[in-house]
Amino acid sequence: MSGESAVRDEGTNIDGDTPLVESTVETDEATITDESELERTLGLSGGLAIGIGTMIGAGIFVFPGLAAGNAGPAAAGSFAIGAVVALLVALPTSELATAMPRSGGGYYYISRGLGTLAGTVVGLSLWFGLVFATAFYLVGFGYYAVDTLAELGIAVGDRLVIPIAVLFGAGFTVLNVTGTENAAKLQNGIVALLLSILIAFLGYGGLDAIGLIGESAAPEQFAPLGALPVVTTAALVFTSYLGFAQVATVAGEMKEPGRNLPLAMVGSVLVVGVLYVVTIFVATSAFGSETLAGFGETAMVEVGRHYLGSIGAFAIVFGGLLATMSSANASVLSTSRAIYAVSRDALLPRGASRINLRYGTPHVALGMAGGPILVLTATGRVELLAEVASFLHLLMYGLICVALIALRRDEPEWYDPDFRVPGYPVVPALGAIASFALIAFMQPASRYVGIGIVIATAGWYAYYARDVDLKGAL
Amino acid sequence: MTRILVPLAILEGESISAGLASLLEPMNVTVLGYHVLPEQTPPDQARVQYEERAIDALEDLATEVGADDGTADYRLVFTHDREQTIDRVAAETGADVYAITGATGPVDRLLVALTGDVAVERIVSFVADLVGDREIGATLFLATDDEEGGRELLEMAATPLADRGIDVRTDLAIDEPPFEALIDAAADHDAVVMGERAPSLRSLVFGEEADRVAAGSVGPVLVVRRQEEGAEETADRPSEAAPDRPARDGES
Repeated sequence: MSGESAVRDEGTNIDGDTPLVESTVETDEATITDESELERTLGLSGGLAIGIGTMIGAGIFVFPGLAAGNAGPAAAGSFAIGAVVALLVALPTSELATAMPRSGGGYYYISRGLGTLAGTVVGLSLWFGLVFATAFYLVGFGYYAVDTLAELGIAVGDRLVIPIAVLFGAGFTVLNVTGTENAAKLQNGIVALLLSILIAFLGYGGLDAIGLIGESAAPEQFAPLGALPVVTTAALVFTSYLGFAQVATVAGEMKEPGRNLPLAMVGSVLVVGVLYVVTIFVATSAFGSETLAGFGETAMVEVGRHYLGSIGAFAIVFGGLLATMSSANASVLSTSRAIYAVSRDALLPRGASRINLRYGTPHVALGMAGGPILVLTATGRVELLAEVASFLHLLMYGLICVALIALRRDEPEWYDPDFRVPGYPVVPALGAIASFALIAFMQPASRYVGIGIVIATAGWYAYYARDVDLKGAL
Repeated sequence: MTRILVPLAILEGESISAGLASLLEPMNVTVLGYHVLPEQTPPDQARVQYEERAIDALEDLATEVGADDGTADYRLVFTHDREQTIDRVAAETGADVYAITGATGPVDRLLVALTGDVAVERIVSFVADLVGDREIGATLFLATDDEEGGRELLEMAATPLADRGIDVRTDLAIDEPPFEALIDAAADHDAVVMGERAPSLRSLVFGEEADRVAAGSVGPVLVVRRQEEGAEETADRPSEAAPDRPARDGES
C-alpha cells in the first residue's frame, strides 16, 4: 500500500518541509511502520465514550431553552433533522475511517481524496471549528457553574459566567499540558453516570409528559412559528452533533478499527439523537416554549425542578457541569490532534507538533488551541460560537461525503474499507447536500465569520503550502 | 528455545544490567523498547520525534544480549498502555517469559519461587533451559501452610534439575507471610524466577506481584507467563498478526 507513495514527489512548503509519509501495515492491534509499532489501546466503549461524551453536553444542557424559543415544541424536530444529517455523514465517515484508520479524522480523508487545497482549508478550519465549539461548551459550563452556586445558596448572578468559563478553559489547557492520567477512564465513568442520570430523568419526565403519571400538560401548538424556524434551529443546534467525527480523529488508536469505528460513530449519533429528541419533548411538555426560552441556557434545571423538585434540579445541574466539562475537554484534545495532523503534512510549521519532553504532551498545539479558546470564550456569544462551530464542521462533513464519492469513483488500489456505506451513492450525496444546505439556514453573522475563516485558510495554503501534494498519498 | 521478552522504558534510560545480559545470553531475546504516552498525545506524534533516538539505544542493547549471534532482536512500540503492549508482543513473538530488569552483577544463584497457583512444571523446565551447563545454582522457594505437601512439591520439582547436574537447594517457608518471606530469601540470590499469577483483587490494588518482587528485591525478575486458555491459538498468531513485518535482527 506504500510502494507508489515512495516514488511520488510530495512537494515542499515554504519552510522546505515535505509531508511525512511512511509505509505502514495496519493490524487490529497495532499500526506497524518500518521501525516501530503504535499500539491501539482504545476499545469500543472508549470510542463510544469519546463520541457520546463530546456530543451529550450541548444538546441537552445548553440548547433546550434557546431551541424552544426559536421553534416551539417543534424544536424536537430540529434535533431529529440534525440527527439524520449527522447519520448521513457518520456512515460515509465510517467507511473512510476503516479504509484509512489513521489519526486525523475528516481532515485526513479530505486531503487524500480531494487534494491539498481542500485539505488545508478543512484542516485549519477544523482547528478553528473546534476552538469555537470548545469556547461554546465553556460558556455553557460557566452558566452551569453559576447555577450550581445558586443551588448551593450562593447567588452570584450571570456576570460571573464568563470569568468562570475563562478560568476553567485555562485550567483544562494547563491540565492537558501537564498530562491527564486516566482521563479516558474518567471520561467513560462520566459518560456512564450522565447516561444513567438522563435516562432516569427522561424516563420519568417522558411518562409524565404523555400524561401517564401526574396531571396532563397544557396543550401547545406543535410548530407555532411555522416550518422555517425548525430548519434554522436545526442549523443552530447541529453543534450538538459535532462529536461523532472526533471518534475518527483517534482512529489510529482504536482496536479492531474495522468493527469499532463504524459502531462507535453510528452508535453515538443514535444514542444522543434519541436523548436529544426526548429531552426537548419532555422540556416543552413541562413548560410552554416561551417560558422555557425565558430560562435561557440553563432551562433544563427548571425542567428538572418541575418534575422531581430540588433533587431533579440538583441532578441536572450536576449533569450539566459534567457534560459541558467533558465536551470542552474532549474538544481541546481533538484540537491538538487536528494541529498535529496538518503539521505532519507540512501544512503548518513542523514545530507545531513538538512534544514536551517533561510531560510527553504536545504543548505547542495545546497552546494553539487554548489561547484562541480563551479569547473566544471571553466574548460569551453563545449562539454565534455554536453556529460558527457548526458552519466549519458542516463544511468538513459535506466535503467528507464528496471525498468518499471521489475515492469510490476511481477507487485507488489501496482503498479497501472494511465497512461500506449502504445505499451508495445516495447516502453520501444526501449527506453532502444536507450538510451544505444547513449552512444556508444559519444567521448571516455566523456565515460571514465562517466564510472569512475559509478565505483566510485558503490564503494560508496559497502562501505557505502551494507546492505540497497530498492527493492519494497514504 | 524459549524466547524471553525484555520490556524497557527505552526513552527513560532503562537498560539491561551486565549480569542479566550474560544470564540471558544463551536464550532467544526480544528487547521490547516501549514509550508510554499520556492519553492526549497520539502515539504517532511521539514516534515522529523520538523514533531515531530510541532505535539507536535499542540497537546497542540488542547487541549486548546477542544480536550479533542472531539470538536477539528488538522492537519499538509507542503506546498508551504498557501491559497491553507487553502482552501483545509476547504473544506475537511467542515469548513464554518476560524479564523485569534490575541491578545485578554476575548471576551465581537463582531464586525460583513456586508459591501459589503457578505452572510449576513449566517454571522448572525453563530454569533447566536457562541454566544449561553453566555454573549457576538454583534455590526452589515455596511458602505454604501445608508443610507435608510443600515438601513433596519441592522434592518433585528439584529432581529433574538435580538430574541435569544443577546445584539445587530448597527453601520452605511455613506459616510466614509469603511475599515478605520471598523478599527475604531473594537477598541471598542474584535473580528471581517466578510464575505469573492470574489477575486478582490483590494485584489490582497493589500491582502485579512480579513488579512488587522486582521493586522489593532490586534485582532482575524473570516471569514465566501464564498460559491462557486456548494456548494453541497464540501459537499461530504471529504470522497472522504481523503479515509483512520486516525481518530485522538488530542490523537495520
